[in-house]
Order: sequence, then structure tokens, then C-alpha cells
Amino acid sequence: MNIWEKMLNLDRRWIFLLIGVACIVPFFTPLGLPILPSAEVEGIFDYMETLGPDNCIMVSFDFEPGTSAENQPMGVAMLRHAFARQVPVYVTAYWPLGQALASMALEELTDETADDYFKYVRWEEWVDLRDQGLTERDEIEAAWVAAGNILPENARGWVFEGRDVAFLGYLPYFHLAILGMTNSIESHFPETVSGVPISGMPMYQDHKSLRDLDLAFTSAGSSACVTWITYAREKIGLPVAFGVTAVMATDYLIFVQSNQIIGQMGGLRGAAEYETLLLENGYSDVPGKAFIGMDVQSIAHILIILLVVLGNIAFFAGGFNKKTNLKGRR
Amino acid sequence: MKRSVPLAIVMVGGILFMIQYFIPHQHSQTLFDYYTEWAPIVGAFALVLGVGSLTRLHMHKIKRKAKNWPYSWAVLIPLYLLPVFALLMPQSMGGGITEGMGGDRMTQGVFDFAYLNIQVSIQSTMFSLLAFYIASAAFRAFRAKSALATVLLIAAIIVMLGQVPIGELIGSWFPKIGLWILRYPNTAAKRAIALGVGFGMLATQLKIIFGVERNWLGGAGE
Repeated sequence: MNIWEKMLNLDRRWIFLLIGVACIVPFFTPLGLPILPSAEVEGIFDYMETLGPDNCIMVSFDFEPGTSAENQPMGVAMLRHAFARQVPVYVTAYWPLGQALASMALEELTDETADDYFKYVRWEEWVDLRDQGLTERDEIEAAWVAAGNILPENARGWVFEGRDVAFLGYLPYFHLAILGMTNSIESHFPETVSGVPISGMPMYQDHKSLRDLDLAFTSAGSSACVTWITYAREKIGLPVAFGVTAVMATDYLIFVQSNQIIGQMGGLRGAAEYETLLLENGYSDVPGKAFIGMDVQSIAHILIILLVVLGNIAFFAGGFNKKTNLKGRR
Repeated sequence: MKRSVPLAIVMVGGILFMIQYFIPHQHSQTLFDYYTEWAPIVGAFALVLGVGSLTRLHMHKIKRKAKNWPYSWAVLIPLYLLPVFALLMPQSMGGGITEGMGGDRMTQGVFDFAYLNIQVSIQSTMFSLLAFYIASAAFRAFRAKSALATVLLIAAIIVMLGQVPIGELIGSWFPKIGLWILRYPNTAAKRAIALGVGFGMLATQLKIIFGVERNWLGGAGE
């Protein structure tokens, strides 16, 4: 067995070890490589920049834990952008497990032990302000602060349940829920996950169906995202944006080019691009998880390319392209 | 009877809702609203069938001590235990989901605990394993054996480098060419496939609605 054959018969466990090291080391020694946002991601960001407290969006966590490494940072980034711009958000989930992932994203953004979080004000905490008839976002915040509530130093802003966010959760047969929500959100989600009736929410008064919304963002790990085009974009003209895994990104670029979606975050890279835009525009102080994960992906990609190149060198240098009797099958 | 009734329901329902889509009248909309509220309720009956079927299958495996039968307990125990926890402790279903907002996760329920510590970890691990197998498979199988394979290999390397920041450091043209490959040659092929699939779906759906395609009946009435 010559050196080329030995190389081609390399025990796969060495490759596993190399990949393992390549995935772990960058977490401890971040490279901080720069990320240039693509036009597809900038499309979503620029659109969000046109929205404010009088608009409303829906962010749907249409994935399961298997793809959460890619999809979760996308959902978190969109929620952060919406909270920072005080754009009201309905949060939903296409799959049962997506509801808990959505909850984890909301918890991450409202975690009081973290820096740069949003101070969450529960529905029952600001009942007095609603009793005063306050519905405008600025008025609510001004009255809340005047009542003696001080924004903690490490917090970025307030998030009022029912004015800034309504966590609707999961419904079975979600494509039917999308169809139904084109007429009425309340008929499918009469109350939030925490049991607050949405009919009394200030954000609901001007945004009663998907027709009244300005954007649906789906962070998807399956073809669930297409449902939003079929039933929301094409039926009522609701602007839709995708956040999809890297392997799916190539499938759905066609919808960007046909202007059926306003933009797409593709894989961890797409999420990192959005995080970069948030960082550059002052919506966050620290890089997000996707940005850090891109270091890992960089090293892993380089390693895989090196392995492919080495494999080809050994294959041709050893003359195995002319033989079929390569020994070993490991 | 076993064939004609389901066929008639599918035909009437299919044609009705095809027409409904194009009629923006109030009555049409009301009908549609009824449908979207009824359909999930009807679908819920499938849950009974699904759970019953799953239970029967695994109980059968356990009784026969079939291959890997102990794993059947791993299916059945959580399947029945988690709803019991949910009934005994209703907050388990919310499972601290809302309580965690604001940073205070004091009331973590059983469901939430099992989800965060078992389900998330298992699914994430399964998906993560792909990276290892892809690397190993790429090393062994990704060969420039022919002209087409060489084009595929070069395109893959360019797109891989174009997708990561380190590729931009190696050569600023990597992301540009990588994006060009994704946006044009890739999209052209994907659009052709999407159109083909779309026309195929349309034809199949029409065949089902008009009773030409009857495989979905599962041989009923034959």
C-alpha cells in the first residue's frame, strides 16, 4: 500500500476528530472576520427600516430544534429589530416545537441578566395606563416612565405586552390558520400563550387580520415558508420575507427574483449578515450568535475543501482513476 | 358506496373551494371561514387514529419481543406520560414558556424541562452529525472524475468559500462569483424544476378532484 492509497484509506475517525476540533476551537478564540451583507438580506433590513409603531409584522418560528442553530438567530434578529423600532409583532409557530423556540427567542431578548436586553412589561403590569385610554406607543412609554419606572442601565428599551408584542404560539394545521388569519387573527388566536385575550390589545385594534399587517417573516427549516407565499402573499398581497437554512436557500432564491418575497436570509450566513446590519446601525451593542458561528463555519469550510483537494490529489497521483481495485473501504 | 361517497365529497369540496377562491363576496367568505375553523377540528380525529395505530404497533413489537423492542417503551412511555403531567400540572404545557420572559424562569414545568433538556438536544445532535458525515463523504467521494464532475467540484469550492467570511479574505472575487452562481445558473435550474413540479401538482390535483386518480382511496371498495 503506497502513501496515496494510505491517504485515501484514512480512518474516518481522524476526519471526525478534525471537524470536531475545527468546530470547537473558534468558539474559544474568535476570529471576528468581517461579514458583508448581501442584497437579499439588505432588502429585509431596509424594509424594516421603513416601519414604525403604527405598523405591525408577524414573525413565525417555522422550524424545529434540528435547524435551530441557523433559524433561531434569524428570529432573534428580526424580533430585536422590531422591538428596537417599536414595531408591534405577532409571534407564531408552524410546528408544535416551534412555539418553545419562539419562547426561547423572546426570553433571550428580555433576559434581565444579559446586556442590551428589552425590559418586558407584562400585560397586567400596565393595566392602569390602558384604563387611562392610552394606546399610542409614545404616550404609553411616557406615562410608564412618569409613573416612576426607570429603564435599567443595561436595557435597550421597553417592550409592552399587547402593544409591542403578542405571543400567539402554535396552531395545528397552520396553513389553514394562515388562510383564516387573512380574514381574522382573533378567530384563530383568541388569546395569547399566556392567556391574554387579543381583542383587548392596543396592537390588535388596527391590525385585526393579515391584510392589516405590513410583513410576515418566516424563519423556516422546511417548505413551510412557501405556505406564506401561497396563502398570504398571493392571496392578499402581504409582503413576505424568508429566513431559511443554507441548503434551502438555493431553492427559494427564485422567489426573491420574482419579487414574491422582499428578501431572504440564507443559513447562518444570512443571520450573521442581519446581525451585522443591526450592529452597524446601532440596534445592538454586541455581535449575535450567528456572527460568532461564522468563524466556526469558515474554518469548517476550509477544512472540508482541503480534504476534498487532498482526496483528489491522492486519487490522481496514485493513479486510482485508472484502477478499480483500491484496497479497503473505510 | 365506499368509493362513490369519498369521491363525491372530494369532487364537490374541490370544485367548491376552487370557485370560492375567486369570489370575494361575503357569503363566499363566510363559507371559507367556516371551513378554516372546521378543518382543524376534523383533522384532530386523525390524532386518535395516529396515537391508536402507534400504540398498537409498538405494543405488538413488545409482545413479540421483536428486534429492538425495548425502544418501543421509549416511544410509548413519553407518549402517555407527558399528557398525564400536563393534566396533573396544567402549567407544564405552558411549561415556563411565558414565565421565562423577563428573565425569571421560576416555574419550569415537566414539559418544558423535557423539551429543553431532551428534545432540543436530541434533534440538534442528530442534525449536527451531518457535518461529520458530509466531511468524510466529501473526502472519499467528491472526485473530479469527468468534465461535469470537475465543474461541480469547482463550483462547490467557489460557493463554499464565497459563503464564509474567510473566503473574502482569500479573494474578494469568491463571494461575487459564488453569488453569481447561486443567483443565475442555480436559479435558472431551480425555476425550471419549480415550474415542472407546479404543473405536476396542478395536474395531479385535478385528477384527484375529478376522480381520475384514486390511489388515495387505498383500495377501498375494491
